[in-house]
Amino acid sequence: MLITTTVFLLLLGMVAGIALAIASRVFYVWEDPTVLEITDALPGANCGGCGFAGCSAAAAAIAEGQAPCDMCVAGGFEVTRAIGKIMGQAVGEKEPEIAMTTCNFGLYEADSIYSYNGASDCNAAVMLYGGSKLCPIGCIGLGSCVKVCQFGAVAIGDDMLPVFNPERCVACGACVEACPKDIISLTSATIRIIGEYTTEECTAPCQRSCPTGIDIPGYIREVQNGNFEEGIRIIKEKCPLPLICGRICPAPCELACRRNLVDDAVGINSLKRFLADYEMTTGKYVNPYKCVDSGHKTAVIGGGAEGLTVAYYLARLGHQPTIFEAKPKLGGILRYVISEDRIPPGVLDHEIEGILEMGVEAQTSKTMGLDFTLGSLFDDGYDTIIVTTGGFDSRKILRPGGGVAAHVPDTFLMLDFLALETLGKPVEVGEHVVIVDSGKMALDVARSCRRLGAKKVTIVSNRSIDELPEELAERDALSAEGIDVRSSTVIAALEGVSDSLTRAVFEEHRPRDNEPVQSETIEVDTIIVASGRLPELVFTSVANEEQPDSNQEACLWQTVDIFRTLPRGGDNGVFSTPEKGRVSDSSAVVKSILSGRRIVRGIQMCFSGEPITPVAHLAAETDDILTVTEVQQVDVSERQNAPIRVAEAGTENNWGQSEAIPGLDESASRREAERCLACGLICYKKAM
Amino acid sequence: MEYVIIVIGAVLIKNILLAEYLGCCPFMGTSKKMNTAVGMGLAVIFVLTAATAVTYPIHHHIFTRFGLEYLQTITFILVIAALVQFVEMFLKKAIPALYQSLGIFLPLITTNCAVLGVAILCIRRDYSFIESIVFAFSSAAGFTLALVLLAGIRERLIISDVPKPLQGTAIGLITGGLMALAFFGFSGVDGSLNALVQQ
Repeated sequence: MLITTTVFLLLLGMVAGIALAIASRVFYVWEDPTVLEITDALPGANCGGCGFAGCSAAAAAIAEGQAPCDMCVAGGFEVTRAIGKIMGQAVGEKEPEIAMTTCNFGLYEADSIYSYNGASDCNAAVMLYGGSKLCPIGCIGLGSCVKVCQFGAVAIGDDMLPVFNPERCVACGACVEACPKDIISLTSATIRIIGEYTTEECTAPCQRSCPTGIDIPGYIREVQNGNFEEGIRIIKEKCPLPLICGRICPAPCELACRRNLVDDAVGINSLKRFLADYEMTTGKYVNPYKCVDSGHKTAVIGGGAEGLTVAYYLARLGHQPTIFEAKPKLGGILRYVISEDRIPPGVLDHEIEGILEMGVEAQTSKTMGLDFTLGSLFDDGYDTIIVTTGGFDSRKILRPGGGVAAHVPDTFLMLDFLALETLGKPVEVGEHVVIVDSGKMALDVARSCRRLGAKKVTIVSNRSIDELPEELAERDALSAEGIDVRSSTVIAALEGVSDSLTRAVFEEHRPRDNEPVQSETIEVDTIIVASGRLPELVFTSVANEEQPDSNQEACLWQTVDIFRTLPRGGDNGVFSTPEKGRVSDSSAVVKSILSGRRIVRGIQMCFSGEPITPVAHLAAETDDILTVTEVQQVDVSERQNAPIRVAEAGTENNWGQSEAIPGLDESASRREAERCLACGLICYKKAM
Repeated sequence: MEYVIIVIGAVLIKNILLAEYLGCCPFMGTSKKMNTAVGMGLAVIFVLTAATAVTYPIHHHIFTRFGLEYLQTITFILVIAALVQFVEMFLKKAIPALYQSLGIFLPLITTNCAVLGVAILCIRRDYSFIESIVFAFSSAAGFTLALVLLAGIRERLIISDVPKPLQGTAIGLITGGLMALAFFGFSGVDGSLNALVQQ
């Protein structure tokens, strides 16, 4: 029996073994070993955060080169490095992202329209009038996000709001998908820096009215909690000059403060100044996460508030900026115009030092057009040049040695053109001259250009043919003279080689609308503009498609229309007037900071290859946003004000090194921070 | 008519999961999501039918002839395991789409007690070959039915207010027990059917 059993099982085992061996040959399927290796390297959570159906599908895509090595959002840098090793590619560290909601008032604190007592799931609750909260973007608090999280990174706190654990969150996006209210989004410092508030997220009135959109309730909360460094970090995501803003900002936020309905606005700006001064006294700069070098090298022309902002955020995003400043020191209007009583030089120096520490190079006493030109910058390896000469040099055109040199190559102001002609030293015009003007003067200039040797002159006007002066409307007569008139047309972009202009993109004029319109690229040698100020332009180098090897000789460049990121579009021509939104409003430092931040947004989109589009549903631009006009259950409490120093009689402005207005001290700041109502769209902190 | 009685008996009355208590681990393990439950159910139908089709001739043509019935259990395990391996390779080559959808479930079933149990039950009940195949298929269908029903209930349980100590597998087991009680309501139906046939 024993022998039979042994022999039988041995035989059976052999038969099965041989059959399987043959089958494995017959049914052999070749599998890429790298796919298996990558699958092993991946975390195997099958979270779908990468957009593929599970880890093995993602591994196949990586092995075929259809997906980057860092596409796994769950595994973090370790996994990326392992995959990079398998694929033989160098990998850079990716900026951490984390899921977040903006809802700050839980189910028991927020106003509700009914009391919900059904299935404990957000999807179920939302079916009844979109959830029990009055606010349409309020968190339901039943934890649909908690259930889908594969990593245990979300929990519902005691206040019925989700708490995201940054240590565990891998930004796979599962909760973003799961939230029926669409109020969870992935965020990172970069996203916040280039982002603008939309009507789809919860914002406080002060936050919306801050031109550059600082998360004011956020930093005030940190003052209450005593996390001053965290507060500074929040401010610096939107404003890299807190010391300056804390002193001279006109604080439109305080006008919007809901406390105005009860007593006085919260001293928002004094609290910002307190945090900034705190950072200054620690002597250590709180800087946000810095991205790895992107390989771009950028030049910022002008070291004022706007230029410093642009450079700070470009450095933060890894685009290696260098500031070129005409004056011996950085600071622009902040240094050379605003009184030292308001911004002591030591404070300004400390602020600028912090910006340079972020990785910004600076070259002072260097004037564009004199010490360097657009062409020489491109030759030095800068691939993007940003002109932020802002409030100071409102004409942006310099006249070295009697001639005219322009920031924008081959572009002149009509005033200079006429003045030089009168002096008998006329501008050398090229073959095709374009005049941007709608007035009668355009025709005089056009005729002068023809006399000076231009073969063809085109007058471009954004007005329609009916709105043009009679002289310009007679097109047939003018074209006989070699003068072409184009109505309802604007110049939307410029292109050139080194220091000369080659082409301009003509577009149909559209006053507000951001829909694409027809455009036409035309060879142009000289442009003469009537408006008093040239726009802030961003020049970026483009690869020479026709002769890829000739880049060494002369760099091809084109302008980037960063102003498309502006809400409500603005006018689409680069030479349209300041009123049309083509030039930044430099009436307050915070507005310059805003334009700097928006320029960086445009550049970042341009570098990442996205089309530059304006933000939809911008909160700051709409009145159609939920808010409250009266507050209840709020106790009156006195605003903490710093005493204003008055110069003693007989002395002349005699407060020495100290400033005209001192800041609040720590205890006063904390008392002031407690006054904040931590507003949301309609929620605010009520007295118990 | 016997086939109808076999089908009804295997699916409802003597459900392999709820009355015979075989295959309880995938019953708990793969019933959290409807998709998984359906995939597992289909894989079980496939493997159970194929396994019975292979074990039946082994028993009737080898064991009975050489008097080796006492080797039934160990041989069936070996044969079923080899068969599943073979089927997995075959599917990967011939029908990759089916392999993709059943792929991860096939190795899970290799040594599943439901598969072995049904193969042995067929022998014990002295079914003919065709009856065995019908019985195996309907047992697996019964397995799938119970699994899909439980998955449906458990998907709803997730959003219900379950007391903390009972959350997860505990409430799953309780639910499975209640389902088994409900299925006992079918007992005796086969007797009545038999009587009906005899009349």
